[in-house]
Amino acid sequence: MPFSHRRAAAALAAVSAAALLAAGCGSAGSGGGTSSGGVVHLSMLTGFTGPDEPSYQALIKEFNATHPKIQVTMTVEPWATVGLKLPTSWATGQGPDLATPSSDPGSIFNYIKTNSALALDPAVGTGANQIDSAAFPSSVKSAFTVGGKLYAVPANLATLALYYNKDMFTKAGITGPPATEAEFIADAKKLTLSSGGKVSQYGLSLADNNTIQMWPILEWMSGGNIIGSNNCASISDPASVAALTQWRQLVSQDHISPIGQSGADADTLFASRKAAMEINGPWAAAGYRSAGINLGIAEVPVGSAGPVTLASTVPLMIERTTPHPVQAEQFLAWYTSKTAQTKFSQISGFPPARTDLGSAVASNPTVSVFASALPYARLYLAGQPNATQIDTDVYVPLIQEITRGANVQSSADSAAKQINALTGCKSG
Amino acid sequence: MTTTESRPANPGRHPGLAGRPGRRPRFNSAYLFIAPSVILIAVFIAEPILQTGWMSLHDWTIGEATHKFVGLANYTALYHDSRFWNALRVTVVYTVFVSLGQVLLGLAVASRLRKTTWYSSLLRTAYFFPFIASLIVVGIIWKFLLDPQVGLVDAWLTDLGISPPNWLQSPSLALPTVIVVGIWKNAGFAMIVLLAGMQQVPAFLYEAATIDGAGAWKRFRHVTLPALRPALLFTTLIATITGLQLFDLVYAMTGGGPIFHTESVVMYLYEKGFVEFQMGYASAISWVLFVIILAISAVQLRVSRYRDVD
Repeated sequence: MPFSHRRAAAALAAVSAAALLAAGCGSAGSGGGTSSGGVVHLSMLTGFTGPDEPSYQALIKEFNATHPKIQVTMTVEPWATVGLKLPTSWATGQGPDLATPSSDPGSIFNYIKTNSALALDPAVGTGANQIDSAAFPSSVKSAFTVGGKLYAVPANLATLALYYNKDMFTKAGITGPPATEAEFIADAKKLTLSSGGKVSQYGLSLADNNTIQMWPILEWMSGGNIIGSNNCASISDPASVAALTQWRQLVSQDHISPIGQSGADADTLFASRKAAMEINGPWAAAGYRSAGINLGIAEVPVGSAGPVTLASTVPLMIERTTPHPVQAEQFLAWYTSKTAQTKFSQISGFPPARTDLGSAVASNPTVSVFASALPYARLYLAGQPNATQIDTDVYVPLIQEITRGANVQSSADSAAKQINALTGCKSG
Repeated sequence: MTTTESRPANPGRHPGLAGRPGRRPRFNSAYLFIAPSVILIAVFIAEPILQTGWMSLHDWTIGEATHKFVGLANYTALYHDSRFWNALRVTVVYTVFVSLGQVLLGLAVASRLRKTTWYSSLLRTAYFFPFIASLIVVGIIWKFLLDPQVGLVDAWLTDLGISPPNWLQSPSLALPTVIVVGIWKNAGFAMIVLLAGMQQVPAFLYEAATIDGAGAWKRFRHVTLPALRPALLFTTLIATITGLQLFDLVYAMTGGGPIFHTESVVMYLYEKGFVEFQMGYASAISWVLFVIILAISAVQLRVSRYRDVD
């Protein structure tokens, strides 16, 4: 090979290697708190892109106004983007000081496993700048406590209630929302109308994918469950199978609800006055009222197993390597205080994430419905490190299969095996 | 009288000086010209490929400080993963039908719109327009059009007295529906490429075929198709590669459902890597897909090898 040819090839290789090295070096992180002039600036990343975003911004604004030495800036991105950006940015210590990693409370496990999140126990207490975790609902505190340590506070807390269209009820001759499961089923059937062989109005708008889960409530009403207290699947137990069979029949044969709806589809169906009822959270109320629906909100009807509904909470965590852990903990302490939670509840319509504020929010008719369900609300797949996988790989396909005619018992048995493999259940 | 051609004298060149040091070879600047492209390919294509290969040999979770080397364990798990095989089946079925469909439809439309008339330009634009629209946008729009409650398609079918099926919620109809949308979206690209190829066919070949008594079909089969072989290979190859990377359309239209009936390999890869953070396993999936695309492309090039007989 001529010498000059070799030199050109070597130069090209050197340039390529330099480019690779440059690409391999990360750029400076975009997050992390700063301090200037005695003021600590904290960054917070959340996924609250919906109509409730102004509520959170209002809370941040109030904190900043009352804490001149600590200024918090909240950035909002879609949940999928938060899920993509946060793990690596926190793992490399270059992420925001505070973040809500996902709308799924089970997401905290990944950040605990990668040692990216700060344990909050040193900041827990009843003092002025301490996190009063004793006031959290027990299910929430339990969901955010791993290995005996508290890793998150609730950024919000919601329960699901029954939304109903009062005009449709009046037209059908139904005087009020159903109070029991039997009334619920009867009303759903009565409110399902067909015209020319096609359903023109559904009694209930149920979603089974990409949604806050509604089907678990239908199981819990009759004493069914997905995972028992022994960490083993109970989805194939007689009570669960009976509940799934009953509701499968109502959906696929009585057509009280469309099959295969996503959460957005279910909301659209109710908002466009094609469904008389829907189980949903407090975030939906404003949108339905804007759509001109004569809206009623009631507690989920009571089944044979007693009152029950689904609770939903979003974890708010601190980056383990934040340069300002004390200030970040102070923010969390204020955020979960009585003052902040009362204000947030009034602005957003969400129930407060504290169990000692009942009278403070009783005057708001919307909030009080959701708040009154707190004592018996249950988190979906609480405490399960593989909650996301159990939901997307097992539970959602199970509901989709049985509503399309698959045998409930055999489908539930198959789902139980998969769940046990994911939970590490040693028996059954 | 004979003439001999003599090469003009080149004052700058002495036969004895060829290859001697001191004379700058031309290929130095050539390498510099291609350097930017090579760097981009190295950084954005070659390095990620090698990096994912490395990650596929580890139990790699996003955010973990250390990653355990597991050798081929991810590939072994993939071999026994029924959901992966289902995703591969969905991807292959989609690719075969969409590739065939868009090429055949593109060929048919190109044949009809070959002559330039006052309306052919408009129609060519209309057929090409879906191709330039974003896949995600196309998916979302078609999801709304096919919605059983608020969709236009079901409304029109109902007006015609036809009971519309639940297109995207039926396990038997969801994938065919996505395939039809894929063909509609991409046929315009095939049309444009094949049209350009058709317009390169010399007119005298058609005249000669006509003189020989060949009808329209024989002229198409024996003149047009052979001349279009490079263009057909190109469109088929692009359609195959694009089809095997199916993600946007199913993500927007069905989310991979119902019950994984439209879940493609890339969708499964996304789920494993970016939802469950199992990046090692997702990397193994991506490498398997890479090898499949490479193999299929090589086979297509081999089978469709064209020799210029002119």
